[in-house]
Amino acid sequence: MKKTQIAGSVVAGFPSPAEQYLEPPLDLNELLVKHPAATYFVRVQGDSMIGRGIYDGDILVVDRSLDPCDGDVVIAAVDGEFTVKTLSLSKGARRIENGGEIKLVAANPKYHDIILKSGQELNYFGKVTACIHRFRKGIQV
Amino acid sequence: MIGLVDGNNFFVSCERVINPRLVGKPVAVLSNNDGCCVSRSNEFKSLGIQMGTPYFQLKERPDFNNLVFCSSNYELYGDISRRIISILRDEAVDVEQYSIDEAFIRPPSVELMEYGKRLRAKILKWTGIPCGVGFAATKTLAKIANHIGKKLPEGVFVMPEDPTEILSSLPVEEVWGIGRRMGERLRMRGITTAAELRDIPDSFIRSIGSVVTVRTASELRGVEAVVDKNYDADPDSVSCSRSFGTPVTTVDALAESVASFASQAAEKMRRHKMVAEGCNVYAQFGTACDSRWVERTVVFEAPTNATNEILNAITKIVGALYIPAVKYRKSGVVFFGLSKEDAARQMSLFDMPNESSGKLKKLYKTVDGLNRNFGRGKVFSASEGIKREWKMKRSLLSKRATTFWDELMEVK
Repeated sequence: MKKTQIAGSVVAGFPSPAEQYLEPPLDLNELLVKHPAATYFVRVQGDSMIGRGIYDGDILVVDRSLDPCDGDVVIAAVDGEFTVKTLSLSKGARRIENGGEIKLVAANPKYHDIILKSGQELNYFGKVTACIHRFRKGIQV
Repeated sequence: MIGLVDGNNFFVSCERVINPRLVGKPVAVLSNNDGCCVSRSNEFKSLGIQMGTPYFQLKERPDFNNLVFCSSNYELYGDISRRIISILRDEAVDVEQYSIDEAFIRPPSVELMEYGKRLRAKILKWTGIPCGVGFAATKTLAKIANHIGKKLPEGVFVMPEDPTEILSSLPVEEVWGIGRRMGERLRMRGITTAAELRDIPDSFIRSIGSVVTVRTASELRGVEAVVDKNYDADPDSVSCSRSFGTPVTTVDALAESVASFASQAAEKMRRHKMVAEGCNVYAQFGTACDSRWVERTVVFEAPTNATNEILNAITKIVGALYIPAVKYRKSGVVFFGLSKEDAARQMSLFDMPNESSGKLKKLYKTVDGLNRNFGRGKVFSASEGIKREWKMKRSLLSKRATTFWDELMEVK
């Protein structure tokens, strides 16, 4: 008979009293990634968002499953390139579906706002939920 | 009820997720060594360029500069595939991954049209991949429903209780598992549509075809039959998984199970003279009501069916699947990027170390023969390496943005 043997562990003697307190170590993924299937990491290029603490070379955690709201830092595609900006909706509108003007605002006065023309859709990629900033820039992962 | 979910133009769709510049353009993904088109965007299809067209031929076209080509980025496709499967596992009662871009699911007992639309919307939003969804009583009928669904704006189709009208207009060779050769044989006997195959008696089918064709006919009648056991036809997917009799808790036992499944799958690929680009390895833990999965994608340095090469690659990532103090209930491997051994060799004529691969082929023929005669696993690989002497040519490779830190997408 063909049979695949799967080795399982056999416990002999008394179970260790420590076993019931055994917990896996803290995992940064658990802290930073709520929806693994919807989460992408992206690398920041440039200084357009330094006012929000996002610097050149930082890694952003981006969750696609979350709907963008007014004031969120989002990733969107503009003219074929990904950009990270603060989403700004017209007064009173919290969500994009509520209509009104959509702006992508940099957190650096050097950059102009990107204003979507009426009828132009926001090519939303995802919401930035965290920024990973490393202090020693020399070391790349 | 069975559902079939698959990604539309999957490889191209994956490329578009990480590169917005490709949206709206005629894009094709090339097979290994940049051989021929294996995935095409709708814009590319509408130029009349067929699947499998060699890349060098297209260089002659006057509009060549408007076409966009990408080398196969299996690291990316494998990762996005895993994401889709994990969403399906959250939403469906049961999931059976069939290939890198398709999976059969058992839906919960809800209104299927709404469920399908919701599922499709979630996959699109979470991963960026548009999918087709089809529901029917059997896998074979679900395949047909999926093809119809993909062409509809809502992307979802539920097979009506009486599918006669649909089956009557479906050429028999387009039925899953029939194929061109069997189709021709059926046509010679006057069976030209799926409905006709469904309605003739089994004894008649047996006189023309194999038991596999009888099963296909049964599935067309709405009676589930085992359809994935066609040893004659080349598989479009090779996978192996099993639930453990006793929960597995050690990294060694987990590695052993994965290695054993990978060896079996490798043997199947060698039987069909096929090679794979890579595989997804997964393990399930938790309780029946709250099960969780860990998965990793492995891409081989070159397409292979050699057990030791596959095990070498897999062994490196099994550690990443292991979580201490967790009881694993199931593990498995799904191979992707399958192609014929000879085709793969032809495309890499210059890089092929023919001596060592010829020897390897002979070795595995012997190993497989011994295993067949004396029982599986009598002869196995000691997981020791051979030197990598050649690499795949991927000159148009996009970033492996989800599996390598130094290749992340860039945002300004």
